[in-house]
Formats: sequence, structure tokens, C-alpha cells
Amino acid sequence: MFAAALVYPFFFRQSFQQDLAIKIFLFGGLASAWNVLGGFTGQVSLGNAIFFGVGAYAAAVVQTEWGWTPWAGVLLGMAAAVGIGVLIGYPCFRLKGHYFAMATLVIGEVISTLFMNWKWVGGAIGLYIPIRDDTWKYYQFGTTKLPYYYVTLAFLVSALVTSAVLLRSRMGYYFRAIREDQDAARSLGVPARRYKLAAMGISAALTSVGGSLYAQYVLFIDPHSVFPMMLSIQVVLIAILGGVGTLWGAVVGAMILIPLSEFTRIYIGGTGSGLDLIAYGLLIVVLSVIQPRGILGFFRKAGAA
Amino acid sequence: MKRRFGKVSGMAAAVALAALLAVPAAAVDTVRIGAIYPLTGPAGATGAELKDAITLAADIVNGKYDLDLPLARTQGLPNLKGAQVEVIFGDHQGKPDVGQAEAERMITTEKVVALIGAYYSSVTTTASIAAERHKIPFLNPESTDPQLTERGFKYFFRTTPYDDLFAENFFQFLNDVKKRKGAKISSVATVYENTNFGTGVHNAIKANAAKYGYRLVADVAYAEKGTSAIAEVQKVKAASPDVVMPASYTADAILYMKTFKDLNYVPQAILAMDAGYISDEFKKTLGKDGDYVLSREVWALDLAKRKPMIAKVNEIYKKRFGRDMNGNSARSFTGFLVLVDAINNAGSTDPEKIRESLEKYRLSGDKMIMPWQGVAFDPKTHQNTEGRGIIVQLISGEWYTVWPFDLASRDVVWPMPAWGKR
Amino acid sequence: MFSTELAQTLLSGVLMGLIFSLVAVGLTLIWGIMEIVNFAHGDFLMSGMYISYWMYVLWGVDPLLSLPVSAVLLFVLGVVAYRLVIRRILGAPMLIQIFATFGMMILMRYVAFYFFKPNYRSIQQTLLTGNIDLHGVYLSIPQLAAAVGAFLTTGAVYVLIHRTRVGGALQATAEDREAAALMGIDTDRMFTLAWGIGAATAGIAGSLLSTFFYIFPEVGGIFGLIAFVAVTLGGFGNVAGAFVAGILIGVVEAMAGYLYDPALKTVFVYLLFLGVLFFRPQGLLGVD
Repeated sequence: MFAAALVYPFFFRQSFQQDLAIKIFLFGGLASAWNVLGGFTGQVSLGNAIFFGVGAYAAAVVQTEWGWTPWAGVLLGMAAAVGIGVLIGYPCFRLKGHYFAMATLVIGEVISTLFMNWKWVGGAIGLYIPIRDDTWKYYQFGTTKLPYYYVTLAFLVSALVTSAVLLRSRMGYYFRAIREDQDAARSLGVPARRYKLAAMGISAALTSVGGSLYAQYVLFIDPHSVFPMMLSIQVVLIAILGGVGTLWGAVVGAMILIPLSEFTRIYIGGTGSGLDLIAYGLLIVVLSVIQPRGILGFFRKAGAA
Repeated sequence: MKRRFGKVSGMAAAVALAALLAVPAAAVDTVRIGAIYPLTGPAGATGAELKDAITLAADIVNGKYDLDLPLARTQGLPNLKGAQVEVIFGDHQGKPDVGQAEAERMITTEKVVALIGAYYSSVTTTASIAAERHKIPFLNPESTDPQLTERGFKYFFRTTPYDDLFAENFFQFLNDVKKRKGAKISSVATVYENTNFGTGVHNAIKANAAKYGYRLVADVAYAEKGTSAIAEVQKVKAASPDVVMPASYTADAILYMKTFKDLNYVPQAILAMDAGYISDEFKKTLGKDGDYVLSREVWALDLAKRKPMIAKVNEIYKKRFGRDMNGNSARSFTGFLVLVDAINNAGSTDPEKIRESLEKYRLSGDKMIMPWQGVAFDPKTHQNTEGRGIIVQLISGEWYTVWPFDLASRDVVWPMPAWGKR
Repeated sequence: MFSTELAQTLLSGVLMGLIFSLVAVGLTLIWGIMEIVNFAHGDFLMSGMYISYWMYVLWGVDPLLSLPVSAVLLFVLGVVAYRLVIRRILGAPMLIQIFATFGMMILMRYVAFYFFKPNYRSIQQTLLTGNIDLHGVYLSIPQLAAAVGAFLTTGAVYVLIHRTRVGGALQATAEDREAAALMGIDTDRMFTLAWGIGAATAGIAGSLLSTFFYIFPEVGGIFGLIAFVAVTLGGFGNVAGAFVAGILIGVVEAMAGYLYDPALKTVFVYLLFLGVLFFRPQGLLGVD
């Protein structure tokens, strides 16, 4: 399958098809990142857009303010995301279940509003990344999508690799213990909070990279496009669709949901009737009812990890 | 013998050469244009109006209409052998990245030769980046963010005047009102949603207020689509401005007017920057409560007094779509005709030729339904330099042009009557 | 002058807050009984608004009179939602439950969008119009009436829960599902009832709101989020808590907007919410 992904752009040369793939990789990566915290560790965060936005703004700001390369922004974004993640996690991890979820949702809204009013990063107007000729240094390519394609693919792969490594490592084992029963884990000597923070940090860093890549792809960001609640929820939805807590679930989910939303928008949304969104909603409901363990649930025997 | 042979081969050569040169003109059956608008999302209602306007414009081009508009009296594009124009609509849902994706899709998959759109300045920004990269002309009839024409793009053209000019119009208007009505106006307040649009308007007003010597006594930014406007209106009330200048989209425009009424507050005038205030919803929803609001506009139905063609076009639109045109639909309509006319002038669907044609394009004011002096694009920025705004006032559910005074259809009502006295 | 404005802000905040309370009450009922966070709650509200709107436009019925119709129809809608969807995911992980209701939200919202278009609608002439002038403080009569209606409805729900046998059964089911079942309470029926009442209260709130607020398919989003905050603030499952929290949110929002910065007023609500969460996680009136 990886090989197929590598050669895809040579068979599918249309800009739209490549764009679709890029979006799939991006969201797949984001969902994988979320999965580390939400799926493996069982801490359902609805605020992952925070880290996405931080990464996007980091990439944009380093260019508009200091003229650096966006790759510096990627690193800066990761650092900031981890910092913010820990800052949020520290008080929030005291909360359980739904309370934690709501808290992350609300914090996401707070940060979104703050960015709307923060003049230094453009406030509501957003940031326009200056257009340059195609270069790797500034990670911008006007005439071809191929570099975007491969970089985003690499992003997805690194998210998956991280997840795979975690799954088999001791840290991953602790994550799962916390997910199953936090108190029991604690009584066995697992420092729950420390590991939850670790999960948060990893998740945040990965998500932030996704945000930075997005910023470079679209070249314009504003709080509406990188911090919205819908984004957080979409990412989580993809993870669930594929199968929460699994390695490939995020990819499967992205491969289904992204084309679905793109195609319904193109073929039905153009009439302006919102039919595409109706289809979206229907799918979510039907799936939740019929197969809550996600698509991969169809292929797994009950009781598997 | 030799001579005849020479003659024959000469003629044969001539015929062969003629045959080679007589390349049949590329039989262009349709000219495909992509239109990207917010067909769903918060501006969905406006998007629908704009879609209708462009659909009508395309019909006028393709059919035969007795109107003094470009390409109306002919069927299709005469310079392209009567080729018909076909519009492919795309929904950007109000999101810049979706707008960009739609632009790319239309260029690469749908193979449009030009793009038009996108109402929201933020989406126009990203969609036109895609167009610029693919070297496809992009005509923007409605977005008013100044920086759109400051990017040095070669393929981007804008027909509508923009916020800086409109803000300036405001203060020119106030000066004129002072003279004519002897009113004492010295302070203004801005109430605006903290988005791209609202903030841009506020900045333009702030700059022009200083330039024209008016004081900005309150600067109230709010988050769009809130549940209540009480706090905001109170802040404005407390500052006692002579004129309140709001910049809001439809939902908030309605909310704020209602709140003004609920709090029994009227300044001397409410002078709005278009958008939500001129939408159909605003006047339908508020009825009498919306009366006496002033707005800058780019167009008004009563301009038909001086340009009867406007009434004729509106009749057709109304019959077909069940509502009047407004400044938004009129601009999209006009922008589309300009674009197709330029394509016709180019005599080709080659994007490069279309672009050149647009650069040289000129249209005189009497061949359009806009109150402009015409259309001519600045060589550097591609901004239409011959556009201008008007000020209109809503009275009993109808918008009347009140400024410039020489285009006005009635005298402005100033100041705004209090709520109890209507 | 200053105190008039402060009073105005305070009162307006309370009026709006009462509406928030009513929306939150339905949500907290559902949450308390079965621990499901209903993302579609705001869209129950939206449905109520449209029902009142259409009854006004088609038959000239004032929203205050169409309120019972709204309540009944929404009750049915709530029951249908429970039977068709929720019942099947009772045992599923919390995340799935969130997403089922989230899907319902999108579905309801965009079906409305499809049929009613994105236009903003408003009811112009209601039975009660105008405003009262109390020494410079203006109270819009429709808003006042809506607030009173919300207060009464919330009170009715409270009485239902705490003073009737059915309410007792609901409470028991909420406390301990298994024990309640063992005592002969039909838990399925209780759940159905909770969804019905929960949706009905949102519908009533919608009818009340339609007298002064504009109606459009996405209106559920704004009020839905505030309802969530209110429910969490007041303690999941706690009707009185939701009531207090709703009013508190209304006041905080209004005051923050007036005293500080309207653009950031919701941030204050959120910060209050987070503060309570960290220092009193069970909510203001909740029991751990």
C-alpha cells in the first residue's frame, strides 16, 4: 500500500486528485496524532485544533515577521505546541471523561478568540504568507503539487511510525493501562499524570507539524480556518470512523471521510442546498449505530487490542 | 511546355500554401467560466443571489436581448463564432482553503478559461492565488479588501471600488450634509465584527476620519453571531457619537438594529458599510424598524430614474428569481459581463489573450447598470479606477439614492427620527 | 448614568440567561439520566424556533400560542431520536455517543438548511411588543415574556423531577441504573421520557426565543455551546444547577461585554467555566 502511495501521483496527475490525496494524508496524520492521546491513552481531547493552529501560525509568523524559512516555524511550532499542551494538561488532567473533553473544547474556543484579537498575528484579518518562486527553503511550489504530496505523505508516515513504536513500547503499555483504569494503574505505580502529559506532548507536536504544512499549502491563515471547533471534531471523527486506538484506523477513516466530504461538496454542494452536509451527518449517525468500533471493527475479532 | 509546367506548379504551390495557411478556426462551442461563491454557510443567502445574477448575465450573453449591455443584442460571443458561455458554479462554504481547492479543480479538471468570485475577501485571496499560479484570469466583482489589488498579481482584476474609497465617500457625504442641512456633526463611532471585513472597514474609517477632521469616539469590535448586542450598543450609547458607522453581516445587522430599538437609542444617523445592511433579509425582517438607516452602496434600484435600463434588467431578474437586485447581485452581474466582453474582444479563449484584453479593457458608464463612470483597469494594480460609491437610505422598505446629490432620487432624511416618532 | 447602564446590562443579562437556563435544563436532564452529551440539543432548539415561525407565517399563530405545539412535536422528536439512535449506542464508549449525537446535529441542521434555506427570518408582530421604561432601563417586552416563560418552564421541570413519582423514578434511574431496574423501574421508559422532556424544553425555549431572536438553520450552534457550558457549570444532571448556571452565564457575558470588551465577552464565560471546573469539578451545585 505504501508503494501505491508512492507512485500515485504519477498515475493521477490531475491537481484535484493530488489535492485529495494530500488532504487525506494530512488528516490521517492529524487523526493519528490525536489517537495517541485519545485512542491509546483514553483522554478524549476536543481541542486538537489548538495545536494545529499553533503550528500554522508559527510557520506563518516566522516568515512574515522575520523572513525565516517555514521549516524553522515547524520546529518553533512543535516547541510551542508541546509547551501549551503541557500547560493545558497540567490542570485538565485532573478532570475525568466528559469534563476533560468539554474543557479542551472550551479552551480551544478561548484560544481561537484570543488569536482573533491579537494584532501581532494579524487578528481577524489573518496572515498572508508572501508568495515566492518554487523553492524547498521556503517550501512553496506554485506549479506542481508533487513536493507537497511527498512531504505530507512523510508526515503521515512519521505519525504512523510514532504510533507503532508507542504501541509496542513500555510507554504505550502504560498509556493503555491508564486508559483502561487509571486508578488501578496508579495503584500499581504508574505515574499517570506524567504519562498523560507525555501523550499530550507527542500528540501536540505532531498535530502542530500538520498545521505548519497546511499553512504552507494554502498560504493564508486566519483564526477561522485553523482554530475552528469543527476541525477538532473532524479529526476525532476520522479516528473514530476508522477505529479508535488502532494503528491504521486513522488512515482508513481519512480515506473514507475526506473523499466523501470532497465529492459531496463538488457534486451536490454546488447547488447550495447543503445536501452534502446532510449526507455527512447521516453517515456519522448510521456508523455510530451500526459499527461503533469503526470500520476496522469489521475486520477485528472482538477482544483484540 | 516548360512555361506551362511552371505555371501549374506555381499554382499548385499556391494552392498548397493556401491550404496550409487556412487552418480552420478552432471550433469553440462553449466558453467555460468558473464561478466560486458561498452557496452554503453563513453567507449562503447572498451566495444564492450572486449565483442568480451570474446565471442571468450568462443568459443575456447567450441569448438576444434588447438591452444596451455588452453582448446582449448578439447571441453568444460574435468574435468566437457565436460560442455560448457556460458557467460552472462552485461552493466555497466561506472557507479560504475550500475556495482554493475549488479554483484548482475548476482550472485543472473543468478546464475553465477564467474565474469569477468570490464575495468573501479571504476566499478571493486564496482562490486568486491558485489562479495566478496557473495563469488563469480572475475577475473579482465584489470583495472590498484593499490588499487584494496590492499583491502585484498579473491575472487578478477587480471591478468594484473598495473600502478605502467608500470610507472616504462617507466623510464627503457628511461634509455635504453639514452644508445642506446645517447639521452639527463632529463625532463618529464604529461598531464592527472582528473579522477581515469589519476590521478592514474600521481601519479605513479611522484613517479617513482623521483626514477629514472628525473624532472617532467609540471603537466597538464584537465577535460575530453573538446572542446579544446589549453590551456593545450600550458602549456606543455612552460615547454619544453623532453618527454610528457599523460594519456587519446580515445576522448581526438585524440584531443590532433590534437592540437599538430595544434600548431606545438613535444617533443622528446610522451610516452602514453595506454588507448585512443592504441584504434583502434586513429590510424584510425589520420592516419599519429598519427605516432611515443609511448605507454606502454601489447600486440602487432608483438609479433607474436616470438610467431606465436598470429597471428593465431588474424586471427580468425579479420575474425569474422573485426578488429585486441589490448592490451585490448588480456587481456580480456587471463583473461577469465585463469578463465575457473582454473574452470576446480577445477573440480567443487563450487565457493569456484574455488577460491582455482585460488590461486594455474599457467600458463606458452608459453601457452598464452600475452608477460608475465606466470600467478601466489601472495598469499596475488592475483595480477599476472608474467606479464610485453612492449613499442610500431605507425608507418604507425601499432604498433611495440620496448622495451624490446630483444622482439622488430624493432628499435625505436627517437626523434619524426617534423610535417613538415614526 | 453609570448605574442605569449597569442595571440595564445586569437585567438584560438575566433575561437572556433565563433562556440559556431553559436550554441547559433539557440537556442536563438527558445527561443526568444516561450520561450522554447531546450535541444535537441546540438543534432541538432550532426546530422549536422554526415550528413557531411557520405557524406564524402560515396561520398567523403567535409563538406564545404555538408553544405547546412546539413542545409536543419536539417531545415526539426526542423520543424518535432516542428510539432510533440513542438506544442502540447505550453501551458504546463515550466517544461514540458523542459522535452519534454530533451526527444528528449535522443532519438536523442541514435538513433545515435544505428546506428553509439559509435566510434569516424573524417574527415581526408578536402579541406582546414594545418595551418598558424603568427609569432609563429599557426592557423589551417580548424578551421579558420569554424570560418569564423560561423561568416557569424550568420551574415546572424542577417540580416534575423532585416532587412527582415519575420524577422520583427518573432520579433513581439517574443515580443507579441497575438498582432502579431491580426495583421495577422500566429504565428504557425512563430514558425515553428524559429525551422527550429534554427535547420538549428545548422546543419551548425555541418558541420563546423566536419572539425576539432571528431564526436560521445554524442558530443551534451558538446556544448549544452555551448550554454545554451551563450544564457543566451547574453539575451534570442537576436541574437547579443548570438554572443558576444559565443565569450566571447570561450576566457574566453581558457584564464582561460592557465593562471590558465585547469582542472577548464569551472568553469570560469560558474562563469562569474553566475556573469552576478546576476548583470545583462537580460543578457549582453538583454532587461528585
